[in-house]
Amino acid sequence: MKAPFDLNFRTMLGVALLAFLAPVGALAQETIVHGADEEPATLDPAEVEPGEGGESVIFHVYDRLLTVGASSSELLPALAVEIPTVENGLISEDGLTYTFPLRKGITFHDGSPFTADDVKFSWDRVIDLELPGSGYEIFSERVAETRVVDDYTFEVTLNELDASFLYSAVLTMTASIVCQEAVEAAGAETDGESNGLLSDNMIGTGPYTFESWNRTENMTLRVNPNYWGTAAFDDVRLEFGLDPDVRVLGLRAGEFDTIETDPSYVADLEGAEGVEIYAEGLLLEPLHIGFNMNVPQGALPEGDTIPEDFFKDVRIRQAFNHAFDYTAFVEGALAGFGEINPHYVPIGVFGYDPNAPVYGEQNIAEAERLFREAGVWDEGFTATVVVESGSLFEIQCLILKDSIESINPNLRINVLGVAEAVFDEAIASETVNYAMWAKNGDPAADPIDYLMTYAHPDGEWGEIHGFRDAYVNPDQIADLIDQIAIELDRDTRAGLIGEVQSLLYADPMWIIGAQEGAVTAYRDSIENMVLQPLWPRPSINFAILDKTGG
Amino acid sequence: MQIRDYIIRRLLILPVLILGVSIIVFALTRIGGSPIGVYLSHEMNATEVAALEERFHLNEPLVVQYWYWAKGALSGDFGYSGVASAPVSEVFWKKFASTMELSVFSALIAVWLGLKLGVFAGKRRNRWQDHLTRIVAVSGASLPLFWFGIVLLIVFWANLGWFPVGRSDAEVWDSIAHPTGFYSLDGLIAGSIPAFLDALWHLVLPSITLGFGAVAIITRMMRSALIEELQQDYVDAARAKGLPERLVLNRHAKRNALVPTVTVIGLTIAFLMQGAIAAEIIFRWPGLGRWMADAVVRGDQATIMTYVLFTSVLFLFANLIVDIVYAKLDPRVRLGD
Repeated sequence: MKAPFDLNFRTMLGVALLAFLAPVGALAQETIVHGADEEPATLDPAEVEPGEGGESVIFHVYDRLLTVGASSSELLPALAVEIPTVENGLISEDGLTYTFPLRKGITFHDGSPFTADDVKFSWDRVIDLELPGSGYEIFSERVAETRVVDDYTFEVTLNELDASFLYSAVLTMTASIVCQEAVEAAGAETDGESNGLLSDNMIGTGPYTFESWNRTENMTLRVNPNYWGTAAFDDVRLEFGLDPDVRVLGLRAGEFDTIETDPSYVADLEGAEGVEIYAEGLLLEPLHIGFNMNVPQGALPEGDTIPEDFFKDVRIRQAFNHAFDYTAFVEGALAGFGEINPHYVPIGVFGYDPNAPVYGEQNIAEAERLFREAGVWDEGFTATVVVESGSLFEIQCLILKDSIESINPNLRINVLGVAEAVFDEAIASETVNYAMWAKNGDPAADPIDYLMTYAHPDGEWGEIHGFRDAYVNPDQIADLIDQIAIELDRDTRAGLIGEVQSLLYADPMWIIGAQEGAVTAYRDSIENMVLQPLWPRPSINFAILDKTGG
Repeated sequence: MQIRDYIIRRLLILPVLILGVSIIVFALTRIGGSPIGVYLSHEMNATEVAALEERFHLNEPLVVQYWYWAKGALSGDFGYSGVASAPVSEVFWKKFASTMELSVFSALIAVWLGLKLGVFAGKRRNRWQDHLTRIVAVSGASLPLFWFGIVLLIVFWANLGWFPVGRSDAEVWDSIAHPTGFYSLDGLIAGSIPAFLDALWHLVLPSITLGFGAVAIITRMMRSALIEELQQDYVDAARAKGLPERLVLNRHAKRNALVPTVTVIGLTIAFLMQGAIAAEIIFRWPGLGRWMADAVVRGDQATIMTYVLFTSVLFLFANLIVDIVYAKLDPRVRLGD
């Protein structure tokens, strides 16, 4: 009696599975399946951390006032119909007030009409909530006042002149326009606490509507048929929580149409049937090792023989930069997909000067000369660099170790690989207890963001690392960067940026190993693949991809 | 001692054991350093970091931190998971349901197949069928779970495309509510056959991976126990009385052989929940194991504490249940003596 029952059950199960699989297979034809690297922690533009996984979905579901296209960094109108300039009168003569005429007849995904009130609400909300870890400072530090002139005109006044406002603030995901009506209907929001609606829901005006989010598994976005611009081709499903190797495997097997990957996987995918590699342009996240001149007394790791102010000597910083084997890093770790870039303006960002001097080739003789001059050649030293273990940055540190130790065995570098949380804790405090650490820079659209964060004597890292006490001429660098921040004339600004790049070459606060190539892999059924580093990671705009090619 | 008294005694000891375990686990996790790292982002300034420390009482002495944690845990607040970006108590039951569903299916596979194979081999001692079964059992016990899982993944997901990874199809998941968190059960409650089958379909590869090792253990245990029972005098007596071999096996030898095997089965189920870590990582199963692995990598101590405490309690209960079942199966066993 048992066997026939088992057989019948199995048969029924098989038939039911087949019947069930058929429609799933049909649906997959119209959905781009993307193997994502990182799952969002939040979907709220006021809460999202710049550079974090949530930015990519916010990018697709919300709009901002301005945007950038696929092929250049030129600003384009989005919810605003015109780009403010001094020439068209939309930037006031004093350079402080920006006026945005808005697009009419737009509705949010819930049917609510879009007006200037939504823009004011969205930006004020970011400033008022002041959520830790978010990009609220992008607005709170710049914006003095927001105003609704009429239903379709919005104005913002800045605290001070800011040449980068459109790129550094208006273009960011933090500046996404949310639906005032929907948020207010979900309950009150107080300082430091949102009502939670937008943390796991999205109501925007973008090319995709938010369908579902099965946390730790996947998220589905649907084409918005009423999009004011060119409608997207296909729905998108983002698959989360997959190891890089599994994503590569899934792409080869056709389970995914696009994946987030890095240059080290290109060799595995090249020549695979049905797989295309996209490798054009560069990410805007220089891979760097920072020098810390502000280590508290006695805080260096056990074994370090350097004094706390070791890197205050510019010759030592120069020597490290000369000693690093850039070719090994680019050709080895990055599989050839990378470029050397100068301090500290990445290639592809406004003002990057191709003629600026760079540490692009290992120069052992010069490194030796500088180490000798600094008086550390004979006695030697041991210094520790802390880094997230198992990362590309760790390879960069190992190359630094090899580079330095191959010059002189008395010069020792310890590479301390630690878990991500430990690393974050190590470099998030006011003081860093290591002489060096490695990571990548945060991507930005305007050079001032890099210069303020990574070069200004009183900027974010300037204060933590003690740049002011270490630069040969800190005031000169500070004045130049401050000028770049407010200079509205593009040619003059470009000249100033070129000038500061030369100064930062001579007085380097970082080793910039390389700028990583923009690389991705996708199925050949996908058309129009483009990576734009100014779009949030993975720098893909799914709305322009066409899976069916139709 | 009566079973009831034994259970009461064990339940009374339980809070003391849990307190001891919680202190040990708290101390061990704090040895790894402050739990602040998982809550930090590069965008935070010093004031925000200080505010976070205050919020989670990390600026207090360790004993005070433990007090806050224990007080919270007693009221159901196990802290905030940086990995899941949500309170631990909010996420825990969803993850638990996920791991439990996987463990239950793995256990069903393991127990059913293990007992069948054990009896099959035990009955055919030293014949080729027995040798073959032992090869399967030895390979199941010796193959690393992660390796076996990856092989299944490559063959049945990447190459043949027969079975999926993950826990559900996005379309199907979105089509029904999930009141229990057991997707197969949710499918049945919603009356959705596609949702039920989708849940089963996603369970296949991780369940086999997780259950295979347990199959081996149960098979070997059942085989040995059955062989031993078949050599007992009462079996000879039953045979001498002319009882059919089927009845000798099913009514006498198998029942007695189950006694030692049940001990192994009970502990195996608890081990399955722990062993789920590798299977969950490989097959992207959103359960406690994967959550725990992420928590360890990112130093999410609130999650680690809750998980370790939970599995400790689980083991305590599993042992209790095994003891009770053991006593029921074998009246000679006297609990608590």
